[in-house]
Amino acid sequence: MSERIDVLIIGAGPAGVAAGIGARREGAEKVVVLERDWDLGGILQQCIHPGFGLRTFKEELTGPEYMHRFIQQAHEAGVEFRTNTMVFQIDTSNDPSVLSGHLPFAGEAKTPHVKGERAIHGEGVTVWTMNKERGIEALNPSSIVLTMGCRERPLGAIRIPGARPAGIYTAGTAQRFVNMEGYMPGKRAVILGSGDIGLIMARRMIWEGAEVEGVYEVMSWPGGLRRNIAQCLDDYGIPFHLRTTVTKIHGQDRLEGVTVAEVDDHMTPIKGTERYVECDTLLLAIGLIPENELSRMAGVDIHPVTGGPVVNDLLQTSNPAIFAAGNVVIVYDLVDNVSDEGLIAGANAAKFAMGKIPADAKRIPVKGGENVRLYSPQFVTGEADSTIFMRVTHPIEQACKVFASADGEEIYSQRLRYARPGEMNEVRIKAEKVKANPNISSITIDIQPV
Amino acid sequence: MRGEKFFMNYDIVIIGSGITGASIARELSKYKLRIAVIDKASELPAGASRANSSMIHGGFDDKPGTMKSKFCVPGNKMWHKLKDVLDVHLDECGSYVCAFNDDEVKHLELLLEQGKANGSPGVEIVSGDKMREKEPNVSPDIVAALWSPEAGIINNFEAVNAMIESAKINGAELFLETVATGLLLDDKGNVRGVSTNKGDFLAPVVINAGGVHSGEIASWAGDKSFRIIPTKGEYFLLDRATGGTITSFLFSCPSKAGKGVTVLRTAEGNLMAGPTATEQEDPEDRSTTPEGLAEVLKGARRLVPNFPVNMNITTFAGVRANTESGDFEISTLKTPRGFVNVAGIKSPGFTSAPAIAEYVAEMLKSELADIVTLAPNEKFIPERRNIPRFLYLDMDERKSLAQNDPAYAQIVCRCETVTEGQVIEAIRRGARTVSAVKMMTRAGTGRCQGGFCCPRVAEILSRELGIPLDEITRHGGESRLLVGKTKEFLLKGALSE
Repeated sequence: MSERIDVLIIGAGPAGVAAGIGARREGAEKVVVLERDWDLGGILQQCIHPGFGLRTFKEELTGPEYMHRFIQQAHEAGVEFRTNTMVFQIDTSNDPSVLSGHLPFAGEAKTPHVKGERAIHGEGVTVWTMNKERGIEALNPSSIVLTMGCRERPLGAIRIPGARPAGIYTAGTAQRFVNMEGYMPGKRAVILGSGDIGLIMARRMIWEGAEVEGVYEVMSWPGGLRRNIAQCLDDYGIPFHLRTTVTKIHGQDRLEGVTVAEVDDHMTPIKGTERYVECDTLLLAIGLIPENELSRMAGVDIHPVTGGPVVNDLLQTSNPAIFAAGNVVIVYDLVDNVSDEGLIAGANAAKFAMGKIPADAKRIPVKGGENVRLYSPQFVTGEADSTIFMRVTHPIEQACKVFASADGEEIYSQRLRYARPGEMNEVRIKAEKVKANPNISSITIDIQPV
Repeated sequence: MRGEKFFMNYDIVIIGSGITGASIARELSKYKLRIAVIDKASELPAGASRANSSMIHGGFDDKPGTMKSKFCVPGNKMWHKLKDVLDVHLDECGSYVCAFNDDEVKHLELLLEQGKANGSPGVEIVSGDKMREKEPNVSPDIVAALWSPEAGIINNFEAVNAMIESAKINGAELFLETVATGLLLDDKGNVRGVSTNKGDFLAPVVINAGGVHSGEIASWAGDKSFRIIPTKGEYFLLDRATGGTITSFLFSCPSKAGKGVTVLRTAEGNLMAGPTATEQEDPEDRSTTPEGLAEVLKGARRLVPNFPVNMNITTFAGVRANTESGDFEISTLKTPRGFVNVAGIKSPGFTSAPAIAEYVAEMLKSELADIVTLAPNEKFIPERRNIPRFLYLDMDERKSLAQNDPAYAQIVCRCETVTEGQVIEAIRRGARTVSAVKMMTRAGTGRCQGGFCCPRVAEILSRELGIPLDEITRHGGESRLLVGKTKEFLLKGALSE
């Protein structure tokens, strides 16, 4: 018999720590957060720059400071943490596609929809953990919150031709080397992609005495926050090239240079615009992907666009015992949102463990309008007020409105000065608006110029 | 120690530790011989043995009477046994050569005849529909295919390391980062050894298994009878989640456009496609090109229309040692006596290697008996065990490993579920670079391509070897991962201004 755990949370980043707090505050007795690293905080440990928590704490904190406040709250709330503990497998007994040691093949793509009567109260879900002191253990919690965060897209994802020398890192790996290990990855860097970590690392490299030749972004707009473009690039005179990408990598042992070229509307490099740039380091900030190996093993439905589990407004996945929050669901722009979602998921996981979530909750599908690239949650129950987070596909650089309609009837509307892919927009759904009409077939969200 | 003052005595020096050199080393370690294997790389495999289709061929593709046809079928049979003896992954999946029209069907008939002549067991022509029963994701336009049940796909990283490890267990010595620079002859014009950047390796027999450099090495012995044409092959490697797309090795028929692209599932379950065949001057240029990759993608989509290239995790290229004759160049030279060519080994070189190695031993016995004696080594141990592969163990085996050594309860590479215990064991077996650990454990071969594990592997290398983190290299030479400590770096920068 394995130990009794009410809510098991996988990952002690901002989402997981908040989920722990949420679960304990809701009344769950035994709440355990597993963390594979030796310390709590997830990626925020290495985010030593300020800019976190403006909304939650009304002040600008560094990543570690922001986490410290939440971790303290979690300790006070009685959340149990297990560090150096990695979940390496999740078995759901009803899912034949999960074999010991093998990821299910996409070719056999089965993500079985586990029905409510199965997998309730920990039956059928086994979480395998490893820890140097405790060895390999199997846990059977009453409910689970997935809070594994996201990872960076690697070079292979964009198939740049050329050699494979040392000196090519994702921006986050370089950040770990500089901020956590105290080593410099190189002396002269080119940054490909304008995700926030890339922008932060551009400035960081300058601070450490390195050169940054430029930041290259294949799209016509930046991937990261405008404030980071201003504070990390403009303030340091780092050139920022839109509609430009790296087309070739040079160097056998250590990176010697890259070829950059402008691209056309189809993102194809334009002949004649190629330019050789000497550099010993290429940092990649080409996007983040929700990290869902474990979610797949657990057999929960994965959304093809967000790359994260399909969730309802309770942050419950297709397996009613499994909840998910934070960047594992959809990549957020601000950590405050991640913490908020963690609190909600933790509280609902606790409710589930205590049998307080109705099995027959509504599942009203949410649909996105033309310029909505991705959004979460994808279903609304109306059990509580909820927020739908979304990103636009194309920027709208004029007054616009974000709105939601239930079967054509507007139930939310908010005016915006602009809408940009790098910054999320929110739609707030009042539970009473959903409860008022028991026959809603779908809710559509959209952003349009006004 | 200065290079020229340093020398060591051996019976046999093998230049090159690709699959050919490593197989010869293991075969010769069955005899009481002092064997040195030298390789310029910092890790194995490094050359064509690293970047290829990892195919164990059925043996129908080679013209009867050629060296290739002589060794391919026997080599195939040996690998089916060696996989257990050496503990390497061999997916005994079989292969199809796919025909899209009547001309190509005619080609299948030719291959079938060749296969029978070469003794390739079980080859047969099947209809496109029959093939699609087993491989539903291949093109509906395939009308027929040549099925070869004995063909397989090997983990080539494991196989080369297993081969050389087995040779080392039986007394052979491996010298990495050792570059052969010339041939040493005695005053009678016989072979006396090899000069290298590390000193002289003296031996009466030198075996040239130099792969893409074997032509140049042969020329040191005055042998200009063949020329190596470095031929680049480019590949896509996809996420392991795509491995269900196909289960066998798929060939195209050769056409005017080239030998044709193959699509396969690697022994570890990644979908892969390639190669191109581009002749080039530079034997070391392993860069991929937009044209090459486009060609591979086109060829892959012809075989598998929904080839999921969006799941690509890396592209790579290998340079193979093509010869003008198209055949292997295996012989002992009359002058200088003691020089043996095992050159121009390319497809089906990996398959043939163990059979070639046996042939080389026989050649030494029959042709060079006066200068080297092959007395059986009664202590030869054929078996070699791999580093435990955590991913493939069942839960009880995992638990017992972790209990005995807590390092097996710590994941280093999360994509391929590689533990710290495996990384440490690889270092004990000779890994000195991040890439060597990758070859021996698969850490870094997964979907994040080392993004997560590279810093951790570097830290473990630094700790276990007692060298500073910023001296750890990706793959030897100048491929250092880091350029110095942060504040030192800033200070040095300031001082130099």
